[in-house]
Amino acid sequence: MNSIIEVENLNFSYSTRTILKDLSFNVMQGTFLAIAGPNGAGKTTLLNLLCGLLRPKAGSIKIDAAYVESYSIKNLAQKVAVVRQEFVPVFDFTVTEVVSMARAPYLGTFGFETKADKKFVKESLEVTDTAQFATRSLKELSGGERQLVFIARALAQNTPILLLDEPTSFLDLKHQVGIYDLLKSAQIEKGKTILAVTHDINLAIQYCDQALLLGADNSYRYGHAEGIFSSQQIEKVFGVRTFTGKVGLKKFFLPLGKFAKDNKTISGESAD
Amino acid sequence: MAATLTLKKLFFRVITCFILLVIIMTLCCFVGTQKVSFRNILSGPSDTPGENIDYEIFFGVRLPRVILAALVGAALACSGVVLQAILRNPLADPYILGISSGAGLGVIIAVLSGMTWSFWAGSPIAVFAFAGALITVWLVWCIGHLAGKSQVISLLLAGVVVNAFFSAVIMFLTSIAKSQQVYSTIFWLMGNITEKNIPVLWISASFIFAGIFGLFSLSHKLNILTFGEEEAKGLGVDTAKTKITAFGFAAFITAIAVSLSGLVGFVGLIIPHGVRMVLGPDHRQLLPVSAIIGSAFLVVADTLARIVVAPAQLPVGVITAITGGPFFLILLAKYTKKVSWLK
Repeated sequence: MNSIIEVENLNFSYSTRTILKDLSFNVMQGTFLAIAGPNGAGKTTLLNLLCGLLRPKAGSIKIDAAYVESYSIKNLAQKVAVVRQEFVPVFDFTVTEVVSMARAPYLGTFGFETKADKKFVKESLEVTDTAQFATRSLKELSGGERQLVFIARALAQNTPILLLDEPTSFLDLKHQVGIYDLLKSAQIEKGKTILAVTHDINLAIQYCDQALLLGADNSYRYGHAEGIFSSQQIEKVFGVRTFTGKVGLKKFFLPLGKFAKDNKTISGESAD
Repeated sequence: MAATLTLKKLFFRVITCFILLVIIMTLCCFVGTQKVSFRNILSGPSDTPGENIDYEIFFGVRLPRVILAALVGAALACSGVVLQAILRNPLADPYILGISSGAGLGVIIAVLSGMTWSFWAGSPIAVFAFAGALITVWLVWCIGHLAGKSQVISLLLAGVVVNAFFSAVIMFLTSIAKSQQVYSTIFWLMGNITEKNIPVLWISASFIFAGIFGLFSLSHKLNILTFGEEEAKGLGVDTAKTKITAFGFAAFITAIAVSLSGLVGFVGLIIPHGVRMVLGPDHRQLLPVSAIIGSAFLVVADTLARIVVAPAQLPVGVITAITGGPFFLILLAKYTKKVSWLK
């Protein structure tokens, strides 16, 4: 197993505001990594740096042992696929058309898909269960269905690395769990390296191997998901007291706000 | 699996549309104040000029004009397709965004300054038109960037202002021009298709075909660009290069269309919309089919312009604006209905 992503002393700032400071971590091939932290801690910025949309102010990022800057836009798109928060496009493209766009980094001059390209598209439509609305316009789908389509597109891109920016944030419980199951199966069956920005620590603990916790003060912690997420860390980074429980193998956290009904009845930190 | 576009399917559809276009063009050559008989045309040119008048009208007068209308229609429709894709605005059109008037201003400057030099098929008119179109595209793009997310309306407003400004400059220039030039200039401004000689048609045709072919090679990237710059980069599209090339080609074919026929509006708006409604938004298909349908549309519009007030003639821009104006308003209402005006 090699490191597929190597981040070293990464610094990034928008004009005067420092977002990331001296961030270093390595991600092994085939890891499912959760990136968590409060709003404004630089989670999305980190994703944009990893996919080459932003350039580091200092430090370096290597993908597959080569600096991100050394890739052409097309070659990088063969290494890294990105799923941003779902949105409705301007024109009425069908689901198949949207997923087919994933093959763009592999197409020739006039951009027509070959049989092999179509096979990738068909497979990802089936895996994500979006084949059922393949001919429908994205506008006619619900938010959860649309997000699945964008994940299907990322899978059809056939990249070793998958970056996701809050893939489940506006979705109902069924779609949240469905998407994490889907990502996990892509990790296990295809050996994909998955980095997902998430606010759902409980889902992250159940599905992710590693975790990167970014603090608003430019601090960070990186390691096994189980070790990184603890009620002390969560209280420190998010400023929220939690109750930590454990019924099966993994921990779970219950946030206890000031007016939460169990705020007084639970003292917290029981099973940690 | 859903029906995706294949090269074979595209080829078949383009050929079908093209046959349709040829039929329409032929029919339109028969329409006019002077009746021409089919038999006389088939009998070929006579040895003494003026004997077979039907043949001369058909091939010497009407056919060049119909071909010209087809070329202009194709160029404007394609320009509309590309502007809509890159600006991610379904209401973009070279006329509405002021690009046609930019090119028009270039033409007027060239005509009024009386320059006559030429190099490698580049007359001052064409060069100035291209420069005017490019500058306006650049202006509109900058404004589009500033406008950010509320693009749909602010970009249109910017277009209106650019348009008004250039029109004012054009009016100023025509009013200080010699009266002899004024009548033809004003007619030209309203979008006028007249008989041009054959070499001009050939040169323009090859330039417009080259431009459309260039745009076609970008068309799968245009699909992705409609999802925005971040998404496009993530899918391996060199966004800056693609945008600049596509804008360049669009400005180029718009400039040629404007220098041929003046300001013909709304073709670039109506045609892409119609084609998209029937065949979907895939630009690999939208672009060539829009070119052909745009040709057919303008050929028919120009034929109407020839016969509505016969024996006098209308500028074709009058016909396209009368049909296109209401169409534009309907689309505007459709795309802005989410905006609550009463807030």
